[in-house]
Amino acid sequence: MTLGLTIAILGGALAVILGGVGSAIGVGLAGQASSGVMSEDPEKFGSLLLLVALPGTQGIYGFLSAFLIILKLGLTGGTVASPSVFQGWQILIAALPVAFTGLVSGIHQGKVCASGVYMVAKQPKDLMKPVIMAALVETYAVLGLLITILLLNGISL
Amino acid sequence: MSIADVQKVHIVTHVGLKKTFIDSLQEEGFLQIEKADFETLGLSTPFADVTTVEHQLHRLSHALDYLSQWEKKGLTEKLFTQKPQISSQEREDILCQDFVPLLDQVDNLEKQNNDIESHLRFLEKEEEFLRSLQDLVLPIKSVTDTDSTEVVMGVMSLASFNELSTETEDEAFCSHVISQGKRDVHLLVVFPKSQKEQFRQILKEKDFNPLYFTETILKKAGEQGKVTDVIQAIEEEKAEQKKKLLLLQNKGKELVPSREQLMRIHDVLLNEREKRLASRNLGETSQAIFLEGWIKTADIPRLEAKLMPFSDLVQCYFRPPLPEEDPPITLENPKIGKPFEIITKLYGLPQRGMLDPTLYLAPFFFLFVGLTVSEAGYGLLVALLSFLYLKFAKPKGGLRQFLTLMGILGVATVILGTLVGGWFGFPIRKLMILDPLEDPVSFLILSLALGFIQVWFGTLINLILGIRNKDYLQAIFVQGGWLILLPSLVLYALLKHSFWGILALVGAAGIVLFASPSRNPFSRFFGGLYSLYDISRYLADVLSYSRLLALGLATTVIAMVVNTLCQTALGIPWVGWLFAALIFVGGHLFNLGISFLGGFVHSMRLQFVEFFSKFFKSGGKPFKPFALEGKYVEFL
Repeated sequence: MTLGLTIAILGGALAVILGGVGSAIGVGLAGQASSGVMSEDPEKFGSLLLLVALPGTQGIYGFLSAFLIILKLGLTGGTVASPSVFQGWQILIAALPVAFTGLVSGIHQGKVCASGVYMVAKQPKDLMKPVIMAALVETYAVLGLLITILLLNGISL
Repeated sequence: MSIADVQKVHIVTHVGLKKTFIDSLQEEGFLQIEKADFETLGLSTPFADVTTVEHQLHRLSHALDYLSQWEKKGLTEKLFTQKPQISSQEREDILCQDFVPLLDQVDNLEKQNNDIESHLRFLEKEEEFLRSLQDLVLPIKSVTDTDSTEVVMGVMSLASFNELSTETEDEAFCSHVISQGKRDVHLLVVFPKSQKEQFRQILKEKDFNPLYFTETILKKAGEQGKVTDVIQAIEEEKAEQKKKLLLLQNKGKELVPSREQLMRIHDVLLNEREKRLASRNLGETSQAIFLEGWIKTADIPRLEAKLMPFSDLVQCYFRPPLPEEDPPITLENPKIGKPFEIITKLYGLPQRGMLDPTLYLAPFFFLFVGLTVSEAGYGLLVALLSFLYLKFAKPKGGLRQFLTLMGILGVATVILGTLVGGWFGFPIRKLMILDPLEDPVSFLILSLALGFIQVWFGTLINLILGIRNKDYLQAIFVQGGWLILLPSLVLYALLKHSFWGILALVGAAGIVLFASPSRNPFSRFFGGLYSLYDISRYLADVLSYSRLLALGLATTVIAMVVNTLCQTALGIPWVGWLFAALIFVGGHLFNLGISFLGGFVHSMRLQFVEFFSKFFKSGGKPFKPFALEGKYVEFL
C-alpha cells in the first residue's frame, strides 16, 4: 500500500460519503413531507414515491464515481495499481466535483421535492411539473458527475 | 402537425327540440359549449336543477365504495379488466330503471352491519369489565346495600390497598378481596351506614374507584345469576351476533355482481347531470333556444349532417374566431407523433397563433432518451411490456398515449443502446459506433452537436414564426443573424478559415443593427451590441446537453457494477448462482427504473428549457368538447 493509493481511495470514499449524505438528507426531507400527505390520502403512495426517490440520484452518482475509481485502481481483483502521491491527489481532486455538487444539490433537490409533494397533494394531475423542477436542481449534480468522469478518464496511471 | 382550426358556432333552434338537441350534441362530442351572452341578448337563463341527481350520484358512489370491500380481484385481474361498454340503447334503458330498491338494500346492509358491529363492541366492553370480577362468588343481585350496611364494589391500586388494610383496623369496616392483580385489587367493601361519611372519606383518600353493575348486566343475571353466568351469556350472544355478521357478509358478497349495474347507473346519471349543467349555458326565449360554442372546422360537416333532419327548425352560423377572442386549442398530429403530445401538454398548450412543437421535439426526444438510457436490454423490456399491455389490456385515454410513448422510447433505447451502450451491461462491440467509457470526449462532442442542432433549429422556428407574424426585420436580420453567426463561429473555431470568420461577422452585423427597436442610432447600436451578449446564453444552452453523456455513462457503469457484483457472488460456494441471479435481476431492474426516470425527465427538461425557450409560448386553453364521459364504464 502506497500513500498515493491511500489518497486515491480517500477520493472514492469522499464521493460516496458526500453524495450519499446529500441524497439521504434530500430523500429524508421529501419522505417526511410525503408521509404527512399520505396520512390524509394514502392513495397517493405511487406518485409521491417518485418525488421521494428523485433526490436519491446524487448518492448513486457518488457511488458510480467511486466505482470508477475502484476500477481504475484495480481494487476489484487482479493487480492493484500503485499510483504516485501526485496521482493519488489527482484522483482525490477528480472526485470532488461529484462529491460536493452531490452534497448540496441533494439537499436542495430534497427541498424542491418536499414542496412538490405538497403541490401534488393539492393538484394530483400535475405530478410531472415538480419532477421537472427537481430535475433543474439535479443538473448540477449531473454536471459534477460529468466532470468527475472526464477528469478520471484523463488521469493516466 | 399543428393546432386544429376552430370556429365559433351559433345555433338557434326551437325550444321543443332542446332535449333531443342536447342529447345528440353530447353523443357526438364535438362541440365545446360556451356561456351564451344572455344579458346583451336579453335572454333568460334556464336554471336546471341538479340537486336530486347529485344526491343520487352521491348515494351511488357510496354504495359502490361500500360494496368494493367484498370484491376480491387479483393484481393481474385488476390490470387487465376493461371497462364495461354501454350502447345508447342501454343508456335509455338504464334511465327508465328504478335502482332505488337496490341502493336501499345496500344501505340497509350497511346499517345492519354497523349496528351489529357496534353491539359486538359493547358486548366486548361488558365482558372485559366482568372478567375482572369473575371470582365473585355471590349472585350479582345480592351485591347491594342492606338496611344497615352499605356494600360497595370497587378497584384500587395494590399499594393503597395495603395501606388501607394496615391503617383501618375498625371492626365495623370489612373488605373482601375479589381478585388481586399485579397492580390493582378488586374488592367488596362493607361498612355500617351509620359511619358511612367517615368510611367514604377514607376510601376517597385511597383512590378507591367504585364499580357498579350496569342495567343490562343486572337484567342478564336475573335473581340468582353469578358473574360467570353472565360472562357465559355474553359469550353466547357474541357468537350469535358473529353468525349474523357472517350472514350479512355473505349477503354483501351476493350483492357484488350488481356493482357493475350500479357503475353503469352512476355513469349514466353523471352524464345526465352534465347535460343539465350544460343547458345552463343556453340562452332561452319562450320559443327558441340559443347556443354558442366552439367546433373544429373539420367537424362542421358532421354537425351540419346531424342537424339536417331538423333543418327547418335550426339555424347555424359559423365564423372564424375574432382577434380579441381566445379560441380553445387542440393539437392534431399524425399517429406516430400523437404520443409526444404528452410532453407539449405538460408544458402547456400553445398560444393562439403559435405552432404546435410536438413533431419538432419528437425526433430529438427520441434520440435523447435513447442516449441517456443507452441500455438496449432495458429498452427491449420497456418496449415489450408497453406494447404487450397495450395489446392485451387495451387501456384508453391518457394511459394509452403514455404507454405508446414508453414503447417508442423503448425502441429508441434498443437502437441507441446497441450503438453506444450495451445489453444488460455487456456491450456488443461489433455493433457499436462509439464506446463512451473508452472515448467519452467523442461522446461529449456528439451530445453538444445534437444540442447545437436543436438550439439552432429552435431559432429557425422562431424565424419562421416571425415571418408568419409579418415581423420581417427582426426575423430575417436578428434570428437569421444568429442562424448564420452560430454555425460559422463554430466552423471558424474548428477550421480557422477566414471565410467563416467573415460570415460570422455578417451574422453579428445583422443582430447589432436590428436587435434594438430604438430609433436613436446610438442606443440602437449599443442595444444591438448588448444583445450579442446573448451568445453566452446559447453557449450555456448547448453545454447543458452534456448531460446526455453523463446520464448515458451512469446507466452503463451501474449496469457494469451489477454484473461485477454478480461475478463476485458467483464465487460463493453452493448458492452463488442464486445470489448472482437475484443481484442480476434486482440490480438491473433498479437501474432500469432510475435510468428511465432520469432519461425521461432530463430529456424533457432539454425540450422545455433549452428548446422551447427559443420560440415557444404556451398559455392556450384546452378544447373540451361536451361529450359522454364515464368514470367506470365506456360509452359506445
